[in-house]
Amino acid sequence: MSEGGAVNTVPVTPKARAQRGYLSQAVREAFVDWGTRLGALWIGVLIFIAVFAPFLANSHPLLLSEAGQVRSPLLEYLSAADVTLLVAFFSALALLWVPGTVRSKLLAWLAILALGGLLSWLLISPPKLSIYEQYRERQASGQYDWVITAPIPYSAKDYLRDYGAAGLEAPLASEERRHWLGTDENGADVLSRMIHATRIALGIGLVATGIAMLIGTIIGGLMGYFSGVVDMIGMRLVEIFEAIPVLFLLLTFVAFFGRNLYIMMVIIGITSWTGYARYVRAEFLKLRQQEFVQAAVACGLPLHSILFRHMLPNGMAPVLVAVSFSVASAILAEATLSFLGLGLVDDPSWGQMLNQAVQAATFNWWMAAFPGGAIFLTVFAYNLIGESMRDAIDPYLKKSSR
Amino acid sequence: MYHYLIRRLLLMFPTLFGITLVVFMVMAAAPGGISAQSLIEGQNLEPEVKKALEDYYNRLYGLDDPAPVQYLRWLNNVSPIGFTVDKDGELEGFSLTKGSDLGMSFRYGRPVLDLLAERVPVTLLLNVLSVPIIYLIAIVIGVRAATERGRSFDVGSGVTLLGLWSVPTMLAGVLLIGFFASDQYWHWFPTAGLSRREALVMPFLPHWSAWGDLLLLFAAVAVAVSLCVGISLKGGARLRMLLMAVLGLFLGGMMAAALPGEQGYLVTLVLAAALAGIFALVAYTDYAALRTGVMGIIGLFLGIAVAAHFAQGEFVRGFLLDRLWHLALPVLCLSYGSFAFLAKLTRSAVLENLQADYARTARAKGVPERLVLWRHVFRNSLLPLITVAAGLLPGLLGGSIIVEALFSIDGMGKLAVEAVQSRDRELVLSLTLISGLLTLVGYLISDICYAIADPRVSYE
Amino acid sequence: MLLQIDNLSTQLRTGDEDVAAVDGISFHIERGETFCLVGESGSGKSVSALSVIQLLPKDITTHPSGRILFDYRHPDGSREQVDMLSLPEERKRQIRGSRIAMIFQEPMTSLNPVFTIGEQIIEAVQLHDPQLSYPAARTKAIAALEQVMIANAAERIDEYPHRLSGGQRQRVMIAMAMACEPDLLIADEPTTALDVTVQAEILRLMKELQARRGTSILFITHDFGVVAQMAHRVGVMRQGKIVESGRLADVLHNPQHAYTRQLLAALPENLKRQREAALAGQAQPPAPAEAESMVDLRGLQVYFPIKKGVLQRTVDYVKAVDGIDLQIPKGQILALVGESGCGKSTLGRAILRLTEPTAGQIQFAGRNITHLPRTRLRALRRQMQIVFQDPMSSLNPRLTVAATLTEPMKVHGIGASKEERLALAAQVLESVQLKADHLWRYPHEFSGGQRQRIGIARALALNPSFIICDEITSALDVSVQAEVLQLLLALRREHDLTLLFITHNISVVEYLSDEVAVMYAGKIVERGPTAQVCARPSHPYTQKLLAAVPRVPL
Repeated sequence: MSEGGAVNTVPVTPKARAQRGYLSQAVREAFVDWGTRLGALWIGVLIFIAVFAPFLANSHPLLLSEAGQVRSPLLEYLSAADVTLLVAFFSALALLWVPGTVRSKLLAWLAILALGGLLSWLLISPPKLSIYEQYRERQASGQYDWVITAPIPYSAKDYLRDYGAAGLEAPLASEERRHWLGTDENGADVLSRMIHATRIALGIGLVATGIAMLIGTIIGGLMGYFSGVVDMIGMRLVEIFEAIPVLFLLLTFVAFFGRNLYIMMVIIGITSWTGYARYVRAEFLKLRQQEFVQAAVACGLPLHSILFRHMLPNGMAPVLVAVSFSVASAILAEATLSFLGLGLVDDPSWGQMLNQAVQAATFNWWMAAFPGGAIFLTVFAYNLIGESMRDAIDPYLKKSSR
Repeated sequence: MYHYLIRRLLLMFPTLFGITLVVFMVMAAAPGGISAQSLIEGQNLEPEVKKALEDYYNRLYGLDDPAPVQYLRWLNNVSPIGFTVDKDGELEGFSLTKGSDLGMSFRYGRPVLDLLAERVPVTLLLNVLSVPIIYLIAIVIGVRAATERGRSFDVGSGVTLLGLWSVPTMLAGVLLIGFFASDQYWHWFPTAGLSRREALVMPFLPHWSAWGDLLLLFAAVAVAVSLCVGISLKGGARLRMLLMAVLGLFLGGMMAAALPGEQGYLVTLVLAAALAGIFALVAYTDYAALRTGVMGIIGLFLGIAVAAHFAQGEFVRGFLLDRLWHLALPVLCLSYGSFAFLAKLTRSAVLENLQADYARTARAKGVPERLVLWRHVFRNSLLPLITVAAGLLPGLLGGSIIVEALFSIDGMGKLAVEAVQSRDRELVLSLTLISGLLTLVGYLISDICYAIADPRVSYE
Repeated sequence: MLLQIDNLSTQLRTGDEDVAAVDGISFHIERGETFCLVGESGSGKSVSALSVIQLLPKDITTHPSGRILFDYRHPDGSREQVDMLSLPEERKRQIRGSRIAMIFQEPMTSLNPVFTIGEQIIEAVQLHDPQLSYPAARTKAIAALEQVMIANAAERIDEYPHRLSGGQRQRVMIAMAMACEPDLLIADEPTTALDVTVQAEILRLMKELQARRGTSILFITHDFGVVAQMAHRVGVMRQGKIVESGRLADVLHNPQHAYTRQLLAALPENLKRQREAALAGQAQPPAPAEAESMVDLRGLQVYFPIKKGVLQRTVDYVKAVDGIDLQIPKGQILALVGESGCGKSTLGRAILRLTEPTAGQIQFAGRNITHLPRTRLRALRRQMQIVFQDPMSSLNPRLTVAATLTEPMKVHGIGASKEERLALAAQVLESVQLKADHLWRYPHEFSGGQRQRIGIARALALNPSFIICDEITSALDVSVQAEVLQLLLALRREHDLTLLFITHNISVVEYLSDEVAVMYAGKIVERGPTAQVCARPSHPYTQKLLAAVPRVPL
């Protein structure tokens, strides 16, 4: 009989809603927004580019015929990671068409991914050394009958040694080669490096966020459920990690632990869990007093059921809202580290390319505009999705707390 | 309240302790960690010299002790109360007045305290300048977005701010330097540093050789500002847009002409059109406060430009103006990202409070909507903004790392990058300590402000 | 005639559709008269009130038809009849506060927390009389506070709202509304959030002020007891329409519309009368012999520490439950009555050890469970269950009814297979008058009353011998409440249950319970058979409580 505001007194006409959890409803509502759709489209394009990067930009020709023999250096040089990504992509596509529950599909996909990854690491061993110049030289000397190259015929680490003193070059400045987006200070094709860097950006975003979410949820859940001393200690831990500027902590970690992709994922993950811990803690503190949780206790349900069946699913909404933003900031973190010269050493990264825009005495606008634009668009896309997810989930939060 | 403050102050110690412990553990656990070898790595030395140097560092910093001992020793040095140590490293006794010693920097070979005293104020200056700008713009936009909920201003400002938020600081910095500071395009701002060398010997305030110039400046600024503000307040939307678009076209043309080298018509056209469009958009908005503010600023710069053009005598910029001139781009870089977050927060706080029961009570009393917003709702909406003020500080400190690196400003952020790159243990730990301390003090201040703003909070 | 409303309709836009919240109502209010709009939640009574004072959010509100004619008194004393719907906003604003004032349901949130009560009253006073100087306005505000019996008004005027209790805040709201001496006061459920003793004081105050000032009151409520106290005339609302209106006595004693009759019949007082009439011919069931007790509390205490100071030392305790001895005999319904904050809910939770007791002893079915380890307690939980107050939050929104009902069964080994448990769950659902196919629905698809039934079903699913009902009907409309209460009585006969019924509603107690215990400030002040306590209360607090209950003269 509580009639709060005027608006609440309106008799709510129950719309015919599908019998699904309200999270999928919220997701659906979020995607009504055109901003979200554009964002999701861009992420989709990036995923496509990341998966098919070796086919899009590669110095190894896709197909060539040498003395009547047709071979594909590109396929020969595919690495285990390339193959694993391809397996993951196509199995996901296939599973989308197969009927079944979301959970079983997810499990099946993870199984395929694990198996595919294992097999490709065991079975695939591309040649260690790749000499990119050889194809161009042989083609120039007429050894090949015909050659089909990738759309961008330069690998990310192809520094064009055969063209002599290669270096920074504005887009389409060279007569003999075509670099749509110019070349970087080592002479590598910018577009090619950007394509290959997509993997790092997306990978770091997802994995680091996953790690942060896991740590934050566990610590926050423990704090919220047990409260008391556990809460006290946990909050000090959260405070400690929040009081140091994240970037500074990252710098320290990276400077001392080296510059490996996987280490960077872990490091970004363990420096950004505090928000999740706070959200989950607050939710759990609230949920613990909720009557359905009390009822579950009164029914004598075991602790794991209370925690994982009754509390966790109801406390995840703010976490899921944060995910998209968190992916965006993880991508930013990687870009920033690379920009400061503490990123990956040789692997292409948007941030590291951006660094070259002003590093030399002159301002190289193409090194700023293209990689910087890619970072911006990706971060913007994730933020757009996050924003409308929040707008979609928040009313539910308010409704359930009333 | 006092109990609460004391409690918070006491709780700062375990947190600070924890912060340094975390950072120390990271350094100690890293492969290679911090050892005498890692310090002289990369230097091409004779084996004997190498050995001697290693021994020297080991003796100096105790780097061959186990990590916990090293940490405890550092802690003892830093703490103002603790054990005193004699020359051989033996414990002498316990002293309450020994004072704290942050140690020597490995890299600079100078006391860390001196370095911090030099660098911290620079970073603080950057941050202190950014915060009011951030709050002002966020509130101006956020309140309007809430009252215009769902209309074009709300949607437009929302998307724009989210876009700004998504621009990486380094991209913004690189573009700003590239276009507005490098001599390839408009060389309007300095590319690096905090002041010119000659500015250090200049008088503090600007100085004109001819009084006429000063008069001219005042007159030009007064005329231009009052013209712009007048148009904004009195003119109709069409007139405003027309006048501003013409001004934009003119200024765009001037900008194109100012570019070094020969420019094609296309560049001139694009620049003029872009500027005209932006100016017209500003003139179009029916949010009078924002429009008048922006147009007033445009008028201000216009007046200064006109006065500078016609000035006869010599003009000495002075230290203050020079410093502001150097700070303009860094502060812009540091602050633009936080608008979106704060404006969004303001918007939702105002929205929530506009629907609150007490706002309805005020309306039932017959309070006009404008007063409901600014007297009743706004003050309540400030409360969440005060809470996040503390959280802003770590973000800004992190942001200054990038900004200082970009603009070659010798502040704490740049020092931090150098410190971790050269594995300068004492410096890294002290920087951790000081940034942690700053953050915690920020939290404390925002707690106190909250208690002042909200009579319900008494922290009992 | 002060206010006349002709064929008023109000539509509110929710999402893409317009909902007719008020659908062609007409009524009028004379000077010095109180008109009560009574109805269940969602009947449109609040929207009607907000339409009169024109406070509904403009962007979502339309009035397709109607007139709101108000007899406006100009400051110079001349009168003019105006239509609130067609006035410009500025004129509406002048009328609001000065001629039509309003008070709301939630005293806790209706005052601005960052201004003192004085500032808020003075704002209202000066707004409608700009010539008034600050000292004069302050004097006027103090006088207004004194009128609503705020002791020490001259000092308390500088208090912030959070320092006042709910009843005092509602007084301040009334003072603020009356400060400009309006002709019409709209009161939207002004006492619903208050305790019954405070409610009695506020109602008395409003009647006094009305008698002195000749103000007309439009009173919105769901409670027929309050209607009987306040109204001269009544309008009964249902689904946006006034189905019946007339003088109070006519509506109460000679209801014309079926809905009014149904509402009145659902009052617990009437339920009791009906039962007594039905039982009149039969012999009274023998008074229960000294049955053994199901629950036996000895010196039970639940203290919550108050921590203060630098080291957060415990300086004092909130004594929520302060030494309670209580026996609940097997097969009986014991009602635990008390006002908010008296510790009755804490006591209920402590009995089930959902809250750990500080001291004392809990015996359940002859067994001391005060210090039973959690794991052993878990097995025992099957026999003791609880049903909660809030139908919105008492069910896990992510689980189907089937999952909610069968999970505890599985844990306690009831039913051999999943199918068997589902069949059992369907049975239980049917026993609370829901359908078996409701098993596969989620909580948000049910109404409040249905959810409360599911809550009862969850408790019954384990086949317990003892159930605590914690304010289970206080969030429900009176007709739904009647159904739930009747259901509870039927279930108790069927399953031989022992019930502890926690409530603040005396008339429910009179209908339902065998015995009643009155709780005040953590202690039980009186206990005895219901009829005896209600007819001849011995403790002064019980007497005060019973006197404050607004009764419907039947």
